[in-house]
Parts: sequence; C-alpha cells; structure tokens
Amino acid sequence: MKKVSLNVNGTWRQFIVEPDYILLDLLRSDLRLTGAKQSCDRRGQCGACTVIVNRKAVRSCLTKVASLEGANVITVEGLGTPQNPHLIQEAFVLSGAVQCGFCTSGMIMAAKALLDENLNPSVDDIKRALRRNLCRCTGYKKIIEAVQLAGLFLRGELTPNQVRPDPKQGLIGVSHPRPSGMIKACGVAEFAADVHVAGSAELAAVHSPYAHALIKTIDTSVAEKMPGVIGVMIAKDIKGTNRLKHTVPDRPILCDEKVRFIGDPVAAVLAETRDQAVAGVQAVKVEYELLPVMMNPEDALAEGTFQIDPDRPNLCYVQPQIRGDAETALIGSAAVVETDFSTQTNHQAPLEPEACVAYLEKEDGDLPTLVVIGRSINIHFHMGMLQDALGYENIRYEEAYSGGQFGMKVDVTSEGLAAAAALHFKRPVRYIPSLTESMWLTPKRHAFKMKVRLGADARGKLTAYAIDFTVNNGAYTSNGKAIVNRALLMLSGSYYIPAIKAMGRLVYTNTAWGAAARGAGAPQVNYALESAVDMLAAKLGIDPLEFRLMNSLRPGQPKSTGRVVEQWPLPELIEAIRPHYDRARKDAAEFNLKGSAVKRGVGLGTGSFGIGGPGDTATVSVELGPDGGITVFGAAADPGEGNDSMLTQIAAHLMNLPMDKIRLVTRTTDRTTATGPAAASRITYMVGGAMVDAIDKLKTTMAEANAATAEQLRAAGKPTRYMGTKKNEDAGPLDPQTGQGPSFESQVHAVQLVEVEVDMSTGEVRVVKMTTAVDPGRVINPKNLEGQLEGGMDMGVGFALREKYVDGQTKDWTSFKFPTIGHSFEMETIVRETPRVKGPLGATGVGEMTMVPTAPAVMNAIENACGARVRHLPATPDRVLQALVEAKR
Amino acid sequence: MGRDTQAVSGVAEYGQQVRLIAGREIICDRDGFFWDPHQWSEEVAMALAEEAGMKELNETQWRILRFLREYYFENGRSPLNRQIKEGTGISLMDLEALFPGGIKYGARRLAGLPNPASCS
Repeated sequence: MKKVSLNVNGTWRQFIVEPDYILLDLLRSDLRLTGAKQSCDRRGQCGACTVIVNRKAVRSCLTKVASLEGANVITVEGLGTPQNPHLIQEAFVLSGAVQCGFCTSGMIMAAKALLDENLNPSVDDIKRALRRNLCRCTGYKKIIEAVQLAGLFLRGELTPNQVRPDPKQGLIGVSHPRPSGMIKACGVAEFAADVHVAGSAELAAVHSPYAHALIKTIDTSVAEKMPGVIGVMIAKDIKGTNRLKHTVPDRPILCDEKVRFIGDPVAAVLAETRDQAVAGVQAVKVEYELLPVMMNPEDALAEGTFQIDPDRPNLCYVQPQIRGDAETALIGSAAVVETDFSTQTNHQAPLEPEACVAYLEKEDGDLPTLVVIGRSINIHFHMGMLQDALGYENIRYEEAYSGGQFGMKVDVTSEGLAAAAALHFKRPVRYIPSLTESMWLTPKRHAFKMKVRLGADARGKLTAYAIDFTVNNGAYTSNGKAIVNRALLMLSGSYYIPAIKAMGRLVYTNTAWGAAARGAGAPQVNYALESAVDMLAAKLGIDPLEFRLMNSLRPGQPKSTGRVVEQWPLPELIEAIRPHYDRARKDAAEFNLKGSAVKRGVGLGTGSFGIGGPGDTATVSVELGPDGGITVFGAAADPGEGNDSMLTQIAAHLMNLPMDKIRLVTRTTDRTTATGPAAASRITYMVGGAMVDAIDKLKTTMAEANAATAEQLRAAGKPTRYMGTKKNEDAGPLDPQTGQGPSFESQVHAVQLVEVEVDMSTGEVRVVKMTTAVDPGRVINPKNLEGQLEGGMDMGVGFALREKYVDGQTKDWTSFKFPTIGHSFEMETIVRETPRVKGPLGATGVGEMTMVPTAPAVMNAIENACGARVRHLPATPDRVLQALVEAKR
Repeated sequence: MGRDTQAVSGVAEYGQQVRLIAGREIICDRDGFFWDPHQWSEEVAMALAEEAGMKELNETQWRILRFLREYYFENGRSPLNRQIKEGTGISLMDLEALFPGGIKYGARRLAGLPNPASCS
C-alpha cells in the first residue's frame, strides 16, 4: 500500500492505495466522480476516461494513483456544472457535439488540455490532441467544431449567448441545445454503470469458449468457496422459461443443454466485488462435448448437417418477392449485370459496455418489484421478455442514459443475467461486463451474401432485378425474420423496377447472433443494388448520375412490394447534388493528371429508406399541468439521437410554450405508454406523430371548453390528460408467396457523393470528402439532423472500409478497427425539406438512412478511381489490391 | 381454433397475422394478441373465450376485461398484476384462475390488448 496526496478538482485528498490502483477507479468508485467513463477494459483505446493531470490530458485507466503524489487532477466535474458550465462545455452543447454523451467528458478534457496550451488550434492540432478519444455518434465533425468554438469563447471573440438560438427564432427548424446536452457535458448524466445502489454485489459471467457444444457438467464448488463469492447461478436457478423471446423462444439467459456460439453465457458468479466475481468465473469448471461447428450458411445448409436449433431447421425462414416476370425481362434486356456481393458480420460498436443494474424494491403487501436499470430502447417490450424468462411479473424497467446502441439494444442483453441474479440471490446486482463480454452479449449486424442480376433496356431504363440473398442469422433468431422482410420491403431502393424476382433466406449458424443494426437489412441489399446500378450504367455508357435520375421512382409508381408511393422527392436531390458531382469529377480529373500512385475517384449512392412500417403504431399521452406546462408520457428511448429535442421542440411549438415548460417522462415502464422501440428511425415520425395527435386533442378540448388552464379544464369537467396515436393503417404480413403487401408509410431519401483516394501500391483507401443531399421532410433541429448524418457517414465508411466482427477474434476497439478522428473526413450536407403528408409537422426520420447509400458510394468511387470493383465488404487494402488484379485481367 | 376463429394469412412467427374472429378480419401478433385494440368487440371476446374453452364469460370476467381496457386506454400500456388487483379488488390467485392462460396470456388477449411492439 502507498499513501498519496493529490488535489482533485481543487481539493487536497489523501488516499492509501495498492500500487496498481488506477486513477479511473479512484475517481469513479471512491470519489463517485463518474464523468470519466470506462469502455475499453482499461486498455487506453477509447479516451472516455480522459482527465487532466498536471495540465496534461491523460487516460485515467492507464494512470496509477501511486504515481500521482502531489498531482493536480481535474475531471469534467471540476470544470463546471449544468448551472454554471465551463465555456468548453457550453461550446460542446451549442455545437451539437453531444449525442449519447458517453465520450463527451473525455473529449472535453482532452480539448481543455489542448486549449490550455493553444487557444487557437488548427484542425490538425485538434485531431492530434483528440487522437486517442473515440466517438461513435458524431463522425467527429461537430467535436472539431466544438473545440474551435470553445477557442472563440476562450479568446473572448464570441460568447455563448451570441451563439445560443434566440427563442424568438421559433422552435421548429432551429438548433436549440438538446435538453440533455448540458448534464452530459458536465458528466452528471447517470449511465447504468454510474448508478449507485447501496449494498450491491457485482456479477460476472462464464461464457462459452466454443461455438457449438453440449454442456455435460458445470462444477461450481470451487468458485462458491472463493473469497467474496456470494454464489454461482446456472440455468436451473432461473424460474421462468429461461428463454429471451424476441420472436421465437430460442435464446437462453443461461444455456442449459448446449452452447451455440463463442460467448454464449453458461453461468454467472455474484460476489462482493467485481474482481472477486471475475476470479469466481475463472474457478467455474464447465465440461463440454463438442458438436459440429457451422460458421457460415453454406455449411449450415449442407446436406445431412447438424441442426442447430432443436425446434427449427437451420434454414429457419424464407420469403420470396415476385413482381412481374423478371426472367423474361432479363432475357429481353439490352444489358444485364450479373454478379455477387457480400457484407460482413459487424458490431454496432456503441462505446458504453452493456452495463446494467437490478434490485428488488420492497412494497408493503405485495411481491417486491424487480427494478432493472439498463440500456433498453424498448423498455415495455423488454420488460415483457424478462417477465416470461424469469417467471416474475412484477418488474419495472428504467432506461438509464445510454452510451449509444445503433440497433443492438432492440433486444435484451445483460439485463437477463442481472435481473435473474437479483431474483435468485435477493441482492442488488451490478453487472458491468467487460468490452469483450459486451461484444459476446450483444447481437451483430447480419452478414449477407447476394447474387444479383440487374437489367436495363438500350435507353438505360431498368427492366428487371433478380436477387437471391442469404442472411447469416447467427446462433439465435432475435428479429432476423424482420431483417429479411425489411430487406424485401426496401429491395428496389430508390428506383422503379418493373419486374422483381427475389428470395430471402435466413440461416442459423454458430456465429454471434444477429439483430438490428443501423438500417437493419437495407444497407446490405442497397449495397448490392447501388453497386449493380453503377456497373450497369457503365456497361451502357451512361453517366451514373443520369442513370439514377432516369430510373428514380416517381409518385404513382410502385415499390418492389407493389405499394404505390405518393411522394418520392429523390430526383430533386439528384439535381441538388449535380453541381457537387461535376465539381468533384473535375477535381478528380485534375488530381489524376499528376500521375501519382494515388488515384482519386468519385462515386454516388442513393438511399430511400422506409419509416413507419406495416401496422406500426405509437401512443403518447400529454398532460396539462397546473403551471401551464406540458408533461409528455411515452417510452421514447433516447440513446443519443436527440429525441428529447424533437419531443420538446414540437410540444413547445404546438402549445406556444417555452421549452422549459415541457417535461418528458420517457424512461420508466411505470409511467409511460408502451410506444415501441427507438429503432427503425421511427421515433420522430411515429412517436412525434402520436404526441402531435395527443396535443391536438388537448387543444381541441381546451378550445371547446373555453379553458386556458388545467384548473379551468377540470372545472369544465374535462380531463387534463390526453392520449394520442399514430398508426400506419397499411398493416398485415407480406404475402408469403409473392412478398407483395403492406409497406412503409413514409420514406427519407438521400444521395451521397464520395470522393476517395486509392493508393494503387498498397490498396489503402482514404475518403477525402462526402457530400450528402437529404430530404427528411421538415427539419425540427438542424444540428441534430446534421449530427445523425455525419455520424452515419462515418459509420458507413467504417462499414465499407474497415470494420468487421469475427467470432473469437474481435475483442476490443483495436481489433474491431474503430474509426478514429484521424480517419475523419470532410463532410457537407445539403438539405431539402419536402413536407411529408402524414408526418408530424411534415417531418419523417433520418437516423438510419444516413448510412444506407454510403458503402456502395464508396465502392463506386473506388472503381471510378482505379477500375477495381470490390464486391465483398469491407474493402480492406488486400481486397482492393485483389480487385485491382482482377480488373487488369 | 374455435368455431368463430380461423387464420387468414401471415406467418405467425414473423409478427403479424390476419385472423378471422367473429366474422371480422383482425390483425394479431405472433402470440395472438391484437395489433390494434380498437378492433376488439364483445363478440370478438366471446369468440376468443370459446376458442380458449370457455362457454361463456361471467360478470367477474367481464369486469376484469373492462378494467384492462380502461387501464390501457388511460395509460397506454397493460397493467401489472398488482395494478389489476388494486383496480378490481380480486386476489392474484383468483385472477389467474379466472382465465385459461392466466392474466397475461388469457385475460389480456381476450381484452384485445396489444403486446408491446418491437421492430419485428
């Protein structure tokens, strides 16, 4: 042990610590300063724990307390408070640089260390100073802008009040700071691992090292006697079905008979400390009998192969889509492209680990309430899943602030284990899995293999599209069937294609299970279609922009589902991007005149993304309060998109109230409407729409009762609370034989222009700039919109060029190849606002579409640069070089 | 299935299925819960009760169904069991025994309450 004196946020403190005790743990556990976050298993990969020590930004996870005698430590809490924030915190909020907020504290502290030395840093200076800080939400653009704005503030050239939007500017189409922004910037928003539960014990889990095996025995005897271990939980200790049923009851909280992928949970150890729980995990002995392993659909579909799920064949779902006679149309086409594409299994990569808290809350006369605090984006649905799996009905799920999720939290992950342990051991439980464990616990983006044929006539009009796609479902179903169906619902992308012949297949394998991931099926099939469109345009000698414009769907024409669209403002977007396309082509041509080994290219991609799926329904309640304010009740999760902004600004606008008179109740099952997931880009369109309906009802009643206040409403015998609904009346399943049927109520459209440089000698691809022209309907908050677009572009490029999840190999942010600020690129956004007929105030959504066109645009740009067509993602340097070799043949 | 109920179309495991109940085409989820609670009627409840093996619904059972629907339309979610108990004065054990399938898979389904939705 060593005694150390150090100054933390202006106060001298003494600590007696073990030699290897790290500053992050001292701050978070001993001082309850939870602004500094832990993401990367204390490997210094993420920078979320950055604090300032003696004027330098340091990663507190790598800093030993014993080395800090006499040191001066500043954490984000030492900068400012929500009531009295530091100028850098103001700059981050006003710039829209705060989305989920998990990286924000670290970013702000790294920025402060930079600005303390250099009040006027260049972009390169900023990138260098923040090179160790990862962000998954923003694409880094607004973070760079925030540091620049902070410099202006600190130099006295500008004040926050000069930047902050004036309420007189109105509430719609104005970038008012998001309501949750400042508590995140000040490090006081509580994420699940920040929640303090008195007397809580720590959970750790035993995960399978094998992809497919029978569990023969589990010996917990040694672990149970380990210091601090409270007990070991196995499947039989779970009293319910022990199956987390999203669509089918196939995924156990703890495996009972067999494991189906590397990382499947087998047992859980509860101990007084996390170190003791982890030690207990090491002592649990599991005897396995290995089974045949099928890591891809080809193996899983081979004749006579082993069936992974006892109740369902490996080919667990098929859905065709037939429209017209595609085969005849292809035969009669002037040009046909026939090729194949594949996309990789990928991790959504939110920075926050799958942290969760569960405890029993005693109530007189009833069974205690099992309270689960976690990262859910669908608290009511997940509460129902837990009720069945645990055999315990009296549950309350509370959404903590969530460090991003990008689709993965469409399903229950760590909550199953934490809640089961809280019930079994009757102890409050914290489950803070490591990053590697979090990757095991969570679903992934599905890998697709696609064989396509796309035809056009001599004029360049598309004639037919045939596609067979096989989706690697992984070990469990989750919403895999929805992924197949969503791919079919958006199969024809932005275009009118008269004849369609498609077949989607979903296949169990022994890989990590798939579920939602930004776009959820659309990015995969759109990559194939948009790549084939470019190839077909080239074959016909037609410019790819003109080809897209010529083939854009128009109002009155049907999508691949047969549903005719009323609005389709894509051609206007193509025209909007035309001057940028012309400029980029000219720049590339000039660049390539240099004759260097680096070639520049330009690529296009379009995306038309459906929102408000078949039968989708949302409900929201609003209540007029005694102070004239409005309380909104609805479980609209906000893992970083800015749904709080959207609800607050719309409600304030419609009620003619200041934003601080709008109160949101969104995070607990006990007080909210079950309004569906914060997924499928549906919150603005569906939940916002339901809120608008509720407010309409309230205002109509107030007018009819001649009441201006809640008191007057009550005096008139009228309620003060009203429920609103938004529903897509086009409901029901796709036809199982033709895939024709109900579709989305609205679409968001985008055209992306990518400029890349390809190093012909190494295969390295650098994105120089990306321009997105988007039509999301009426914009509620421009900075939030841009934030979604920029983050999506960054994520889309990561998907296109770098990232993948490989079972047993991807374990942290380095092996995942997380895009850093060094990979960030210039971004430009062009916004057109075509009011959507059925959208709230004319809005639709934007969160997922933003990466739907990205990967094909990048691949099209690579081919434009060097002639190499990369057909299998990600386009790593070796694949680019291989494609170059193939192109030369 | 009962005399007045039958599947019309859809793959139940996918999410939405159309069922013919008491002469009405009703969209249900994979577990047979209503997609839209407004499609419910007393005739529909009777048909579902028959499907579940109940010859009729007594006054107590109707009281439970009405409570469930009123709670849903006031709060936008289904009540927990303790809230049903508080609202009806009937013990949980008695409540569970009143409907085949208990409260969640019996009474709530007969009351036409939707399950919380997911993107599936």
